[in-house]
Amino acid sequence: MGFQKKLTKGEFAVLAEINTPKGVDISELTMNTRFLKSRIDAVILPDMDNGIMHMSSLGSGAIMLQQGLEPLIHVCGRDRNRMALQGDLLSAHILGIQNLLFVQAEEMANSDHQDATPVNDLDEKGLIHMVKSLNSGKDLSGFELSGTPDFFMGFAMPSILDDTQLEKEMEKAKEKIDLGARFVLTQPVFDLDFYSTVLNKLTPLNIPVISSVFLLKSVGMARYMSINDPNCRLSEDIITRLRKSKDREAEAIEIAGEMIRQLKEICQGIKISALGWEDRLPTILDSAGL
Amino acid sequence: MITAEQKPVTEIINYISPYRRILLVGCNECVTVCAAGGKKEVGILASVLHLHFLKQGKNLEIDEITLERQCDPEYVEELAPHIDRADAILSMACGCGVQTIASRYKEKIVFPAVNTKFMGASESQGIWAERCQGCGDCMLGITGGICPVARCSKHLLNGPCGGTSNGQCEIGPETDCAWRLIWERLKELGMEDRYEEIMEAKDWRPSGGAGPRKIIREDLSL
Repeated sequence: MGFQKKLTKGEFAVLAEINTPKGVDISELTMNTRFLKSRIDAVILPDMDNGIMHMSSLGSGAIMLQQGLEPLIHVCGRDRNRMALQGDLLSAHILGIQNLLFVQAEEMANSDHQDATPVNDLDEKGLIHMVKSLNSGKDLSGFELSGTPDFFMGFAMPSILDDTQLEKEMEKAKEKIDLGARFVLTQPVFDLDFYSTVLNKLTPLNIPVISSVFLLKSVGMARYMSINDPNCRLSEDIITRLRKSKDREAEAIEIAGEMIRQLKEICQGIKISALGWEDRLPTILDSAGL
Repeated sequence: MITAEQKPVTEIINYISPYRRILLVGCNECVTVCAAGGKKEVGILASVLHLHFLKQGKNLEIDEITLERQCDPEYVEELAPHIDRADAILSMACGCGVQTIASRYKEKIVFPAVNTKFMGASESQGIWAERCQGCGDCMLGITGGICPVARCSKHLLNGPCGGTSNGQCEIGPETDCAWRLIWERLKELGMEDRYEEIMEAKDWRPSGGAGPRKIIREDLSL
């Protein structure tokens, strides 16, 4: 069953994020995804994630289809203007890519091509409006399309710190939903109790919420996140658990698996980010009982 | 200089119609030179607005002031005695002036009365043309004093595109091909060899690619 169908029917969807190669060697990409077929509902493919030039999500999406996996590609406005975005999306649809996730791109100043000129022709709402227009059979200039695409689109919501921020994000989310967004992806969960309260407050949005789980690959990484992104609410307990473990890799996988099992009870989908350890995804799925 | 054009009067009217007492502020610098927002234009706009609202039975009170420079906090301070009397401020300066006023008088709403257009020069009486995009890394020394960033429609850095025709840009006969101008200028100067130099991908960070720009001169800072 496709990702869109699962979400619409209210069934639990499992997604995994895979980084695309910086180069033309796709052996790791195909190897890492080989064992995911029939275990996940879609592969999320970032587009120049964190401002790092990689193979684009369009090309990698097409490769996933060849692998028998359904792609969900990132779309952002930093690198392409409305002409390129629309053209690439039409290409994507023809290749069989229908699932889109709108994200806010990292600043060019923080990218690995700092001297590039950022495009930013359309912001996130502009992007959703653009896809809504394509879905209605017209391009952004109002010209009729020959053959109408049918994209299924969602957006990402940043980590929530408090009710004030949540309120603002809810307002933005409502606007995006009014424009046609059909699901929302939230940021990595480390504090389940707090996240449950956020999730309850997202109920009025009336769209499926997909939660994210990060694989904490090392104590250093966990520490970095807890210091630099306090909104992620990564507690000292988790860091200590990882630090004291005799087999930290297995422990990291177990932490992710536990979180997924618990999230499965309260949300409508899960996105697993293995952050370079994509070869461990099947083990994470085993640990989560998926 | 920074060039500007007055906004359509209907747009200005829409901005200020909820208010009765308006502080209309001109600027003696660039917008005076390009006849968009100097003392003269302040007077004309005030009359137009008066007439419009009088026809609607509303007596608009307009304080007219033209500052030496609206982008300079020192001169913007001169508005302080007039601020309390105003319900809203209408600025005829460029976007820099509007924002300087907005940051100084936070309690008052400020509206722009002009559209800021570009950094340009006067070609002849009543005609201004774009000459600089503030790319932050001037290459006029290599291109014979003619800027390909500001004057080539495609910002090409290594000669003209195939769209150049009889020295004109493909976007329209009113636009000269910047690279035709550069080539002719380099020939006049006997510096054709510069044309042969390949310019590598430009670093757009100084152009704003790395976010809003700021100049900090420690030798001048207090």
